[in-house]
Amino acid sequence: MAAMAIKHGELVTLEELNPSSPFFKQGASVRVTGKLQEYIVETAIAVAADGNATLKIDTQHLRDISFRIGSTYQFIGELLIQPDNEAILQARVGRIVDGIDLSLYHQSLQLLRQFQADHLNNSTS
Amino acid sequence: MDQRLQNTHAKLLAFDLLSLTQTPSFSTYEPITFTRKNTIISRTEILGVITSRELKPNKFLKFTIDDGTGCVTCVLWLNQLTSPYFSRRNPANVKLIADMAAHFALEIKIGVVTRVRGRIAGYRGAVQVTVSDVVVDRDPNAEAFHWLDCIRLARNCYNVVAGDAV
Repeated sequence: MAAMAIKHGELVTLEELNPSSPFFKQGASVRVTGKLQEYIVETAIAVAADGNATLKIDTQHLRDISFRIGSTYQFIGELLIQPDNEAILQARVGRIVDGIDLSLYHQSLQLLRQFQADHLNNSTS
Repeated sequence: MDQRLQNTHAKLLAFDLLSLTQTPSFSTYEPITFTRKNTIISRTEILGVITSRELKPNKFLKFTIDDGTGCVTCVLWLNQLTSPYFSRRNPANVKLIADMAAHFALEIKIGVVTRVRGRIAGYRGAVQVTVSDVVVDRDPNAEAFHWLDCIRLARNCYNVVAGDAV
């Protein structure tokens, strides 16, 4: 029962995944949520979108999940940043989240980050 | 040391659970005491996505829950029919417990959002949860509600019990 070093997927929005963002790092473990805009069966590459932001997702390691254009998905995986600075998420977990309230999700995420920051400040002070 | 939360399943975010203070105790039943701001916490309720699953048939199922703030290792024991720990208990009850654990094991799949209750334990210095209850949550908003619950309870209850309201 040796402990496995599985990193958690940092909760990020697709809009935050731009080259100037602190989340935009080679190998960073992230969790993203977006609507499926495109899916290529031959390459298993999906494109998820949230507002104007999009991200390519490599889904080749996912099992027991079907891809439907227009459905909302959540993926956890590691970022692979290519030489042209385009990021692809190497997904290791994926699920359909149709019915998710994205406004509630984004607002809750801000509160969660604030709570974590407060907790960290209190434990270090 | 405040003991008011000792028998409560405290709803904790993974980063909070993983940062509990561990103190060795003299009890053989609970060899480690876990505290949060000088309050003893022995049981927890967590919710997140299953991101790993390792089955040892008839022994245990070890899995990981990722709630976006951390990964918590959980252990669901499946050895009730062979373990000496259960040998003095009513066999019919033990069979029920074993059947329930086997049912939980089937529910735990990678990518599924699951609510887990259990006892907080330590293994090789790390916090893990010995599972007593598993519920698969199919509401796509369940995680957001859980984050808000954890934040509210920490601010209005757990920190207040500790006399350190934030």
